[in-house]
Amino acid sequence: MKQILFAVAVLTMGLTISQSYHLQLLTFIGIHTILALGLNMLMGYAGQISLGHAAFYGLGAYATGILTAHWGWSPWAALPVALAGTFVVAFLVALPMLKLSGYYLGMGTLGFGMIAFIVFREWSSLTGGDSGLVGIPSLTVGTFSVSSGKPYFFLVWGCVLLAFIACERLVDSRVGRALRAIHDSEKAAAAMGIDTSRLKIWVFVFSAVLAGLAGFLYAHLVTFISPNSFGFLVSIRIVTMVVIGGMASIWGSLLGAAVLTILPDWLHVFTDYEMVVYGLILMAIMIFVPQGLTRGILDTYERSRRKAFTTPDPSQS
Amino acid sequence: MSVLDEKPLPLQTLLRVDSVSMSFGGIQALNEVSFDVKAGTIHSVIGPNGAGKTTLFNVITGAYVPDRGRILYEEQEVQGRKVHELVRQGIARTFQNVELFGSMSVLENILVGRHVRTRCGFLGAMGRWSWVKKEEVEAKRRALELLEFVGLVDFAHHRSEDLPFGWQRFLEIGRALGADPRLLLLDEPASGLNAVETQRLGDLLERIRGQGITLLLVEHDMSLTMGISDLIVVLHQGRKLAEGTPKEIQSNDEVIAAYLGSDRESFP
Repeated sequence: MKQILFAVAVLTMGLTISQSYHLQLLTFIGIHTILALGLNMLMGYAGQISLGHAAFYGLGAYATGILTAHWGWSPWAALPVALAGTFVVAFLVALPMLKLSGYYLGMGTLGFGMIAFIVFREWSSLTGGDSGLVGIPSLTVGTFSVSSGKPYFFLVWGCVLLAFIACERLVDSRVGRALRAIHDSEKAAAAMGIDTSRLKIWVFVFSAVLAGLAGFLYAHLVTFISPNSFGFLVSIRIVTMVVIGGMASIWGSLLGAAVLTILPDWLHVFTDYEMVVYGLILMAIMIFVPQGLTRGILDTYERSRRKAFTTPDPSQS
Repeated sequence: MSVLDEKPLPLQTLLRVDSVSMSFGGIQALNEVSFDVKAGTIHSVIGPNGAGKTTLFNVITGAYVPDRGRILYEEQEVQGRKVHELVRQGIARTFQNVELFGSMSVLENILVGRHVRTRCGFLGAMGRWSWVKKEEVEAKRRALELLEFVGLVDFAHHRSEDLPFGWQRFLEIGRALGADPRLLLLDEPASGLNAVETQRLGDLLERIRGQGITLLLVEHDMSLTMGISDLIVVLHQGRKLAEGTPKEIQSNDEVIAAYLGSDRESFP
């Protein structure tokens, strides 16, 4: 039901908005939503942090970029290879990494993100180094070009919708419950027969593959990629999207991605003080709605609906 | 009401703890501890604080690997196996300080308890094939039965951390039953319960035993242990001090001395 509403909303937006600037902004929000959604599965639901998620975003982008720009592959053939590549790398990284937890996992993934960034920058024969990788072809379906504007908007938001459905089903399943169980108490989760280390590895791989998909979509949208789009600050931005939007909330990922994509754009009016205002807004959100915007909005709504909120007391019956 | 598959087990050894020793940096937590748990009984391990009860528990459930000795479960050596593997084989447990999944509903807690009896993975969850839906319906049905069994069915959709403490204990036991265990280990189930709740707990444990499930309790509360245990093992400073029926334990001078100094009066 929610998905149908969502699809209708996307469709109306796509059909009514004609200004290409707005379409592009919305397309970026879509790509960021996929990134945030993946990380939210790992962070919000399973409670495992990753400070190097931009690495997988970059991996997806560079994989398709190199295959199509250098070797002349069709993007549609590059897509499964890029996703499979992200899958394999994420799995190999996760094997040792997910033995860590808390701050140590944060540090470990941070290190991995830096390594990936250096590889993107220094392996210039393949990646183009600092000056970037140019000549990534736009997507085409037959003779129809899906380069930018409306077609790309629909492509990206179609992917968002699929990712939404996948994540929502995942959350409301045996796997999703096990993930939340790990978040609440890893000790008790193991005592329920959950193979916690294995599940953590798989959710990490899952979120990395979503990031890889976002990377693919990004690369063929902008047709030019450079290492700075996949550096440490980008990893932090993805984490911020999840936290601002709301941990363990699928819609929160959309909200967080939207806020963090639109906000810098609106704040241009502050010119020199742009970053200061940006930082202040993020701080304010964290102080006043520490559980994220989604939770904050829902709470306000519930409060306004019934003033006297009483917690149910089981001993009363 | 038959909630758990009724299969009367013959009175045989389900679990054997065989000269298990374990030390932590010079402290001998367990020293050559041995005893048998017969299927279909309620067996208790008691002892003063620091006697090694919780260590013993963690060894049996696979959280610790003992330095020496063996744990035999259904005639197989299981020491060193991982916690989650042992659950699959039928050893479930609860925790001393109640480890519920606080952010999840009461029903969801039980559903997590059914993890080892269901099998849907990432692809199954995303595809939501018909067998997945069927499995989910079946798991929910069973979870509601278990909630009925522990008396919490009316609160299925409450957040588990909103329940009063005593109810959380019952939920935790229900969650452990979700794994269809053959051996259920309860770590101080009566701690933090009032007299009425302890009474209800005793009844519940009897009903669980009635379903053919063997119980092993680590307990402090004498009124509960003495009332329902078939056999009691007394640990003291990592050693087995005594083993016997509640009557035998109650009249064992060594036990009384270890437990309460020499104050015989206050021992039940």
